[in-house]
Amino acid sequence: MIQLMKKRRSDLLESAGVESDSQEFESLFKEYWAYVYRILQRLVGDPAEAEDLALETFLRLYERRPYKENGFQMGGWLYRVATNLGLRSIRSYKRRERYEIEAGRFALDEAPETRPVELHIQAEAQDLARQALAKMNERQSQLLMLRYSGLSYKEIAGILGLSPTSIGPLLVRAEREFEEYYRALAQEEA
Amino acid sequence: MKKHLTEGELRASLDGELDDNLLRHLNACAECRAQLNQLKQTHLRLANRLAFLTPGTEPVPSVRFAWNRFTSQYLKQKETSMLKKWFSFPVLRAGAITVLAITLLMAFPTTRAFAGQLLNLFRVQQVEVLSIDSTGLENMTGNEALGSQLSKLISDSTVVTDEPGEPVLAANASDASTSAGFNVRLPADSAPSKIYVTDSSAFALTVDRDKAQALIEAAGRSDLVLPQAIDGAEIEVSIPSAVSAAFGTCPEPKMDAPEVEGPRESYPDCIIFTQMRSPLVNAPDGVDVAQLAQIGLEFTGMTREEAAAFTSTIDWTSTLVIPIPRNAATYSDVSVDGVTGKLILRESNHSPEYALLWVKDGIVYAISGTGNDTSAAFDIADALP
Repeated sequence: MIQLMKKRRSDLLESAGVESDSQEFESLFKEYWAYVYRILQRLVGDPAEAEDLALETFLRLYERRPYKENGFQMGGWLYRVATNLGLRSIRSYKRRERYEIEAGRFALDEAPETRPVELHIQAEAQDLARQALAKMNERQSQLLMLRYSGLSYKEIAGILGLSPTSIGPLLVRAEREFEEYYRALAQEEA
Repeated sequence: MKKHLTEGELRASLDGELDDNLLRHLNACAECRAQLNQLKQTHLRLANRLAFLTPGTEPVPSVRFAWNRFTSQYLKQKETSMLKKWFSFPVLRAGAITVLAITLLMAFPTTRAFAGQLLNLFRVQQVEVLSIDSTGLENMTGNEALGSQLSKLISDSTVVTDEPGEPVLAANASDASTSAGFNVRLPADSAPSKIYVTDSSAFALTVDRDKAQALIEAAGRSDLVLPQAIDGAEIEVSIPSAVSAAFGTCPEPKMDAPEVEGPRESYPDCIIFTQMRSPLVNAPDGVDVAQLAQIGLEFTGMTREEAAAFTSTIDWTSTLVIPIPRNAATYSDVSVDGVTGKLILRESNHSPEYALLWVKDGIVYAISGTGNDTSAAFDIADALP
């Protein structure tokens, strides 16, 4: 994943060679498909929704072709667009109802040995966390997502266009904001 | 003495991102460490709550299918006439599954043969969708001589043993259950505008191997050779009663109605929810199943290798295989009614359509409608008792 994020336009050009525009797009799609899908799968928790949103992300890439510009960072751009779409999807009420059901089901499919009650509680807690992320300022929740997916400050800074030394203070703020939303949502549920 | 660390610096230390000078201060400063402990509690709580974001080994949908879906659905490639035909049935008419089953069994001579091999009993327990390159088939349907040859072959070799009747209105779910002979399930929270019961039907067909072979050759596929052993094989197909619930404003169903293309757009909110027991196929043994499946799939345009790979993954005795043209429709696995089902989408500028299919407890379910938003179909499925 990190390797992919580091890829730049110049590398892409080299690997694309003399391919036409559409061939170039197709090879980008194939190269980054798993990367985008996984980000969304973790974020929204529903494989079918993640697949739709990943395709939507590539549609944006196709329409805007930002990779034609010098210095373009593919991994970061895809990350931002994909997570924005994912967060928007979580905010949509109708879909949220389905997540609650789906999240429970997929958890059951994946770990049949675990007790359903525990899974249910776990699925509910995940749903609350997703909603809290969706309520936050998008940059803040992206910061949390990047950090809690295990990226270094330098990598996070690269994706969000920040300086690495600003990540620590921003994380403190984002974590507080997350906690507030999470608690408020948990109270609402209760 | 250096001033105390800021919260941001303390936070960075938890991620191992603090530079050495500051780290030395932290190690020597009790006040900083006390504050660090507080931040650490928050951090640990969040790490626990956001653990689902940690990269794992989630399976990723095939990039090939994703690309196909992207080009066909998102880039709105031209739809094919073949698919319109496939979808014009299930979307608007009652008995969607009946038609799908018949489409499967009757669409190509070779398909009939391999559905038959299972022989003793073909009982649908699951639905599988097969994305095929339909170019070859389109050429075939565009060829009138070939079309009439196919119709003649089917009518010559088929005897209808139980005529299907016109769909009959049922007052409610329990009325429909009584007529259809199984427990009909309808969503608890919304009443259908109409419920129809379509009577059972059955037909038998006798395979004429030489005529089927001639047809394959006329279609330009003389490289495919049907085995002699299937000649004269008698296959019986019985289609049980189907119950269709119409939601929204839908056209009147008619079994013998001509295919409808235009009117579909006049019923944008029409959703048809069909359910029926599994169709049954009876046929003699002694037919090389794998070989016929292979031929059938190659006939649809698959390469020899692709066909072999697909054939090996399918249990032909329990799977209803629905072929969809690769360049005009897409499908995905979805979680529905507590099982895994298939969502088939046909993208089109004017009249996109979908069909949601699943099998549960021996009953085949299908919900079809128009438009890009499939949430209404899931709402119906979610509200089933």
